[in-house]
Amino acid sequence: MTGTRLRLVRWRATAPLLLFVVALVVLWVLFADALARRAAVATLSDALGTEVDIGSVRIHLAQARVEVGALAIADPRDSTRDAFEAGTMVFDLDPVPLLEKKFVVDELRLSGLRFGVVRQKPARAAKPGSSSAQLLHETEQWATDKFHYPTLALGRVDSVKALVLHPDQLGTIKAVRALAARSDSLKSGFEQSLARLNLAPLIDSSNALAARLSKADPRQLGLAGVKDAVTSAQQGIARIKQAQQDLATLDRTTRASVLALQQGLADIDAARQRDYAMARGLLDLPSFDAPDIGAALFGRKSIDYFQHAVYAARLIQRYVPPGLQPWNRPGPTRTRMAGTTVEFPKVAQYPGFLLRKGEVDLTAGNAGQNQLRADLSGVTSAPALYGHPATLVASGRLIGTDTITVDLHGLSRHFGSAPKDSVVAQVNGVTLAPISFASLPFTLHPGRSSVGFRFALAGDSLAGAWDVTADRASWSADSGGAQPQSVVQQAVWQAVSGLSDLRIHAQLGGTVDAPTLAVSSNLDDAVAARLKALAGQAIAAGEQRARSAVDSLVDAPVQQLKGSVGGVASEVSSRLPGAQGQLQSAQRQLEAAIQRLAGPAGGIKLPKF
Amino acid sequence: MLALLKLLQSIFKTLHSEGTPGQVAAGLVLGAGIGLTPLLSAHNLVLFAALALLNVSFGGGLLGIALFTPLGFSLDPLFDRIGLDLLHAPGLVGLWTSWYNTPLVPYTGFNNSVTLGSFVTWVVLAVPLYFLGRRGVTWYRANLAERVINSGLGKAVRASVLFNIYRWFRPE
Repeated sequence: MTGTRLRLVRWRATAPLLLFVVALVVLWVLFADALARRAAVATLSDALGTEVDIGSVRIHLAQARVEVGALAIADPRDSTRDAFEAGTMVFDLDPVPLLEKKFVVDELRLSGLRFGVVRQKPARAAKPGSSSAQLLHETEQWATDKFHYPTLALGRVDSVKALVLHPDQLGTIKAVRALAARSDSLKSGFEQSLARLNLAPLIDSSNALAARLSKADPRQLGLAGVKDAVTSAQQGIARIKQAQQDLATLDRTTRASVLALQQGLADIDAARQRDYAMARGLLDLPSFDAPDIGAALFGRKSIDYFQHAVYAARLIQRYVPPGLQPWNRPGPTRTRMAGTTVEFPKVAQYPGFLLRKGEVDLTAGNAGQNQLRADLSGVTSAPALYGHPATLVASGRLIGTDTITVDLHGLSRHFGSAPKDSVVAQVNGVTLAPISFASLPFTLHPGRSSVGFRFALAGDSLAGAWDVTADRASWSADSGGAQPQSVVQQAVWQAVSGLSDLRIHAQLGGTVDAPTLAVSSNLDDAVAARLKALAGQAIAAGEQRARSAVDSLVDAPVQQLKGSVGGVASEVSSRLPGAQGQLQSAQRQLEAAIQRLAGPAGGIKLPKF
Repeated sequence: MLALLKLLQSIFKTLHSEGTPGQVAAGLVLGAGIGLTPLLSAHNLVLFAALALLNVSFGGGLLGIALFTPLGFSLDPLFDRIGLDLLHAPGLVGLWTSWYNTPLVPYTGFNNSVTLGSFVTWVVLAVPLYFLGRRGVTWYRANLAERVINSGLGKAVRASVLFNIYRWFRPE
């Protein structure tokens, strides 16, 4: 080759390269559907944090259409069931955005939809490190940490133990210490500020000046002498006025601080109430107040529903950004590290994903049976680009053993001031699963019920309600029909076992960081009355013991603190008026001296200063 | 096993007789691009076509792929950081936004941190790698080639039938 010019292109490799390209095309035709199915399974599984199975995917490039068959999404919280199954899904895509690797679905048609179907084999759990698995764990942890249901710890009623508390356990002691420190600081600060005003020398010198001037004879002083004397008196008055202003400022700030201390005493009373509750909790005394009965019986079941909703809303928030900023998403699943794929939305361009219109038709069977229709629209990865909220509306009836009517409205608005996800659902005629109770050996079978569910997560604010109404509820004892053993269990059993009417209402509120849950039912009053009659005296004794344990540690420091705060208040209210009075007296004397020297009695006309 | 043998043959032939050191180094650089970046990326089709069509050493390309693929795997966390820094650089967001909304460009996967980070790293290293490769091949041919050719492994590799396929791609 030396001495000859190297050619830039190797033409004889063209044929093998073309063959290679043809092979790629053939492979695409043969395996694109399978690759797309695998990619969809991997992506959906990672995104939803649960096993997703897809029977088939068929890509029709010419029609820009994708058909998905036998989609099954396992319930992330129950591996034995599929939360959602779809027989066929047909996506009609807009071909133009595909050039930008964006998926805009003009129309989606779903059929063969089923919910809560038992799986043939349990679903695989989400990868522990995946973001969806973490989210699921966080949500479960959130439910555990933020909600505490009273338990019907029935065995403790007649065995209240002695309670020994340590001062460090008590919030009251901590509050007392903090307030005492503030009180001491206020007292020393007040005294230092008062000392810095140097009132005593000022009052003494002013009184001395007033005394000297009162004895001076204007005629002997002469015009210049009188002028000097009056000037000295006026300067003294000016210093007194300045001191009075400083004193008034000190009075104002100190009184405000004293007021804050007195409010702190009220907070200490509240802390003591909390300590009573804590001590009561240590004794594990059951609460037989009606609101606590509702929470004890149905709190856990209620929060199960809300927990599902919070998980779904957070999942949506994770994948649907509210603005137009670059947005990080997990990269594709591959042998190499997935990395992060960043989306860069732009005004007047297509979002990465948009479902313009989706239709779900569950009409099946004979005429009049299973008529459920759902419409969804505006589901997108960049709502700020699309500018409309995603909506889901479903209504209809399903006829099996019983007729179930469904009415559901969902909305997801992720643009504007704060993202909001909400759902309102009403299902009538559904047979609810039995409800068991942590501390009671029997089970409630609600039977055919009407269930209402509302949930909204707007920014950080939570709102929701769960209602169950059943007219033919029944109760069964656990352990093969054995009757409840404890006296109190028997009392509860007697109260509820004859009731067939069931009304449960759970109300969620507050924020994600500080959620509130109130649960009530028509069983509350009946159960509470039975239990109070049975165990009220023992519980009252236990509660008194808890209060005494707290009081024994708290009373002395609180009294001492009250004395200290009172002392500061009385010192402020006694010393400041005294100082003000002395200053006013000195000022009056100096003004009288000026009057005497410069007035008609002095006999000398002075120029006005 | 077959692929490995073919690879050994082409590398062997490349290092000992096929092409000038410059052609081998150019092939090595293109192969490094394929090896360092995630395989199923659109730019790798271009690199592979260049490797096949341009009059560079195809064996050098295979050598580059063989050497730099494991390196790419091990450096993925670094590529991820480089890519993320670039994708979030305020001065570049306008460029990325424009590319993201341009037909076909998103299929390059430029907006993936590992793809972008590894590609940029390859671009930066391409020229030094070319000169290093050229010097390395020259030194090898002058100092080691004869001994390797006469070794048992050398004779076995040269005897393989598959070597003939490789000849289609050898530099002219």
